[in-house]
Amino acid sequence: MKNLFLLAVLCLLTAALYAQSPPPARFTLQGRAVDTAAAPLAESTVMLLNPKDSSLVNFTRANTTGAFAFKNIKTGTYTLKISFVGFIPYNQLIKPTGEAVMDLGALKMKPITKELFEVVVKTAKAPLTIKGDTIEYNASSFKVPPGSTVEDLLRKLPGVQVDQDGNIKAQGQDVKRVTVDGKNFFGNDPKQATKNLQAEAITKVQVFNDKTEQAKLTGIDDGKKEKTVNLELKEEFKKGGFGKVTAAAGPASNNVSARAEAKGSYNKFNAKHQFSLVGLGNNTNQQGLSRDDYQDFRGSNAYNANQNADFGFSGNYFYFSDSGDEGLGIPVSGRQGVGFSNNAAAGANYNYDTKQKKVSGSYYYNQTRIDLNARRNRDNTLPQDQYKTDETSNQINFNGNHRASLRYEKEIDSLNTLVFINNSRYGVGNAQLFRKQLLTRSNGAITDNESVNNSEQKQFAMSNSLIYRHKMRSKKGRSFAASATYEVNTNDATLNLDSRNTYTGPISAGNRLPDIHQDQRNDIIRSEYKASLQYVEPFAKRYTWETFFNFSLRNDEVDHDVFNRGDSRYIRNDTLSLYYKNNYVYNRLGSSVRYSYKGLNISAGLAGQRFTLNGEFAPDQTAATFQNINRVFTTVIPNVGLNYSMKNNRYLGAGYNVNVQIPTSRDLQPVINNSNPLFINQGNPDLLPQLGHNLNAYFNYFNPGNFINAYISLYGTKFVNQIVYSQNTDPQTLVTVIKPENFSGGQNLGSYIGFGFPLKKTKATLDLNGGFNLGNNPSRINGVINDTKVRGYNLGARLSLTPVEWLTFYGNANVNVTNNEFSINPNRNQSFTNNNFSGELTLKLPHEFYINSNLNYRVNRNEQLNFDLRIPIWNASVYHILGKAKRAEIRLTAIDMLNRNVSVSLNRGVNYTQSETIETLARYFTIGFTYNMRGVQAKMRRDGY
Amino acid sequence: MAQKTEGVVTYVRKEQWLKIINRLPFLSQEQKDRESQTWKNWAEKDKGIKMKMAFSPNESLYTYFSDEPEEGGYSWRKSEYYIYRNFEKEKKTDIIEMLGKTYIIDDSLNAPVWKIGNQIKEVAGYICMKAETEDPIKKQKITAWFAQDIPVPAGPERVNSLPGLILELDVNDGDMVIEATNVTFKPVTPDDLKLPKTKGKKINDKVYDAVIQQNIAESMTAHRNPFWTVRY
Repeated sequence: MKNLFLLAVLCLLTAALYAQSPPPARFTLQGRAVDTAAAPLAESTVMLLNPKDSSLVNFTRANTTGAFAFKNIKTGTYTLKISFVGFIPYNQLIKPTGEAVMDLGALKMKPITKELFEVVVKTAKAPLTIKGDTIEYNASSFKVPPGSTVEDLLRKLPGVQVDQDGNIKAQGQDVKRVTVDGKNFFGNDPKQATKNLQAEAITKVQVFNDKTEQAKLTGIDDGKKEKTVNLELKEEFKKGGFGKVTAAAGPASNNVSARAEAKGSYNKFNAKHQFSLVGLGNNTNQQGLSRDDYQDFRGSNAYNANQNADFGFSGNYFYFSDSGDEGLGIPVSGRQGVGFSNNAAAGANYNYDTKQKKVSGSYYYNQTRIDLNARRNRDNTLPQDQYKTDETSNQINFNGNHRASLRYEKEIDSLNTLVFINNSRYGVGNAQLFRKQLLTRSNGAITDNESVNNSEQKQFAMSNSLIYRHKMRSKKGRSFAASATYEVNTNDATLNLDSRNTYTGPISAGNRLPDIHQDQRNDIIRSEYKASLQYVEPFAKRYTWETFFNFSLRNDEVDHDVFNRGDSRYIRNDTLSLYYKNNYVYNRLGSSVRYSYKGLNISAGLAGQRFTLNGEFAPDQTAATFQNINRVFTTVIPNVGLNYSMKNNRYLGAGYNVNVQIPTSRDLQPVINNSNPLFINQGNPDLLPQLGHNLNAYFNYFNPGNFINAYISLYGTKFVNQIVYSQNTDPQTLVTVIKPENFSGGQNLGSYIGFGFPLKKTKATLDLNGGFNLGNNPSRINGVINDTKVRGYNLGARLSLTPVEWLTFYGNANVNVTNNEFSINPNRNQSFTNNNFSGELTLKLPHEFYINSNLNYRVNRNEQLNFDLRIPIWNASVYHILGKAKRAEIRLTAIDMLNRNVSVSLNRGVNYTQSETIETLARYFTIGFTYNMRGVQAKMRRDGY
Repeated sequence: MAQKTEGVVTYVRKEQWLKIINRLPFLSQEQKDRESQTWKNWAEKDKGIKMKMAFSPNESLYTYFSDEPEEGGYSWRKSEYYIYRNFEKEKKTDIIEMLGKTYIIDDSLNAPVWKIGNQIKEVAGYICMKAETEDPIKKQKITAWFAQDIPVPAGPERVNSLPGLILELDVNDGDMVIEATNVTFKPVTPDDLKLPKTKGKKINDKVYDAVIQQNIAESMTAHRNPFWTVRY
């Protein structure tokens, strides 16, 4: 600061001195630009530069005779620079002579050799730098195949010859020396550098005459010059490797065994290749990679465009997915699971990216063993009666999944692109479940059901898509695309089921349930063949017309064999065994038109779709007679959309579309699933596709000047043939059967609104939000249609405090109220309150010590049920970043310091209220160590850059 | 040669946002690498945005090439951006929409100090010389390549006052590059050089610089990329 002040004073003084000296004399500088044959170079550019820093003082143009003049210029030293296309720029130092007119006469400019000019400048578009007699080439302008050496590169340079032995000649002279960044490379043999260095690493090649080594050493210029080639290395020749490892462990305490977690990753990359490894293991309920881990693992393949093989209206899913299956993608989760789980995962990923070709492959394995102890209490109402259910269960589930993926993208040429995507998964799982259910009737009669389920399953799933896109040469914007997809899913499962019942109280014979001792086998094969075509025509300046066709054939086959076990008998159960297969054919033809101009995009379209279901089922594939299913469903769906971005960051959008959801295989197959003998699930082969008419609108505003943002959104859906789960409870045995059915009339309407503004710019920000959701959903309960009306309201506030670099605080408050009304049972209407309050504080202390603490306070209330749950979860950690390079961190962590973590939930259906408690990992402490090759940075602020 | 002073240049403007993110001081090396490794193929696909400039010996007007939809038929709104120069009167008028407002900047030309180098290269069929300067507010190194034989002191963005038409502009060694794709010589009409009628906040260079400087300072404090909200 002091120095700056002194400098300012000095400047002022100098300025004052100048002001006092007499006004400088002015003079005229003139001359004439000519070529080596003295012909005038008309209209050449003539510049006067400050010789100290080459800054431009004045410029003019020569006239047709090449003559130029700078009149009335201040006396001083200048560099005169003349430029003319095809000539080496002319430079001359001008020193004042005291004359009023300084005539330089004819100034001869040398032409650039034709070869250099035509080849380097014109053809290669390479900047050619001329520094005295140094000529500099831009290496990237001369294409050599990957893996080439500098020698190969030099061969490409005009004016440079390399003979078979690697001897180099430049402009006819032998090159005596090759330097890298001005430094000698492996002694004096120029061939060493050119044969060993990769061409990729070079940014510039300079060829010049240098003083001899001798002259440099002695400082005496002997006048001899050596042809020298200097190679300049790329500054950002991007190449790197980095790794990270974290390990933490903590002792056993209050019924919780010792905890440990470890995670490591390693990445290696350069401009074309990315290779990464990741591995993790823990018993702290961390089941997947975090989003950051996933990005580090998958690199340039983490998020891909050009993935969708199903062309046509977006948001219209002609997409089949069976719930319960794990997806094909690598699971990413930041959330903590419930119960107690042991987790392990490992994977490798490789990406190869060039402009024309992109290849990516990955393998990932993860496994989870989860131990769940749950207790569920239910109050049930039947039309004539009521009863209570008390369920205690323990289950141990194991799941291991191998995932592999391959993606290949090739830009065949500027008009044609081909993409192949494969994702596969092979999973094995097993589960042991012990369950005790007590059903207590109003008259005191009790059914005590105890069941043990042992199950195993093997799953294989694979999806392959080939997408071809072609841009038509005939017209810009006209394009064609075709895709083909093959998907296959198999699931082979076995279940050993043992269910025993005992009774107390006034039980009649009809109230009794049979004991079950069964071995079940369930083999499913689902294959799907899909094809899509798309044609886009820009039929007018601002109009685009898109036409698409989709075809899909889904083939389902399920073989469900049930055998009764017991008393040395092993016989097939023909009521529960089922063989089912179907073909589900789907065709869709659609077309839409879009108008686009100045940020306004409006589109409207229509599609016709036809579904054909042909199926058959029987107790066994060898059965003599099969029951047939033949259904055809045709529908026309409209699609309208509006997107408008307006001045000053305001955005408006609206849309109407119809979402068609095809029943899942599981919902269609009339298999009776009695794995819980008191709650039986059964498919329905008569299901039709569900249609959802969606209407939505939104408005966003953001002001980056004062950091104010606001948004409002409204959405609504009306269902036709909604797939809902109806239930029927046998009043005597109390067995409930759940079965999907189509119902029309369900609808929902919702809105959210938000407003954020700085309380103090860059230091404190407050975000407020609110919303509501109104819905009603019909379903059949014990043969009676019930309409459930749900009304939910929420309000939230978030406070972000970032007053100084060493302190941040984030506070959240969310209030939620839900009212449920049941048309057939108004006296069970009720209101839930779920509130959540949290705060997170991070402090940076001196000497690289940090403290992070967060408190989350959850309140769940239901006044009608006298339910009032308040759970505070308080976590804290203290950490210290070690070393000058800040690559290591040591951390003490305390999770759930108040030891209050438990998973409790309360929910209520039309004829029941259920509370559920799951034992979950609570208080534990760990000490951990992290080493990160790229350096550890304390996370003070939430992301959002 | 006199006919080589009037016409229209088309440019392609391309920002390397990953390089720009890599300059943000508040990000850790891990975060920078993560962004670069994840999004490099997306950044590569960015074809840039087309710009145009009408020029005559005394005037120039630089703005977007067109409001028509991009290839693929979707139209993104472009913030208002008109850069008008009058070299005869040494005046300029810019219409720039940024930070939630439209600004109209009226001032004299205020040419930067250009340093002229010895490099030549070809851009859009013209041999250009290299000139360098610095943006003192955004702290950017600006490299301009101006045509040796188009004697018009006009240029893209807010950069001008060189002995020839600027056909390429490079900010911070490739963070942002504007390259001419075509130069057409033809008589320009007053309409080609006319600014649209727009309401906005009238300011001068000094205020403009202060607004940019304040945004950069605030964004850095708030750990945000200042160039999401102002032009790089």
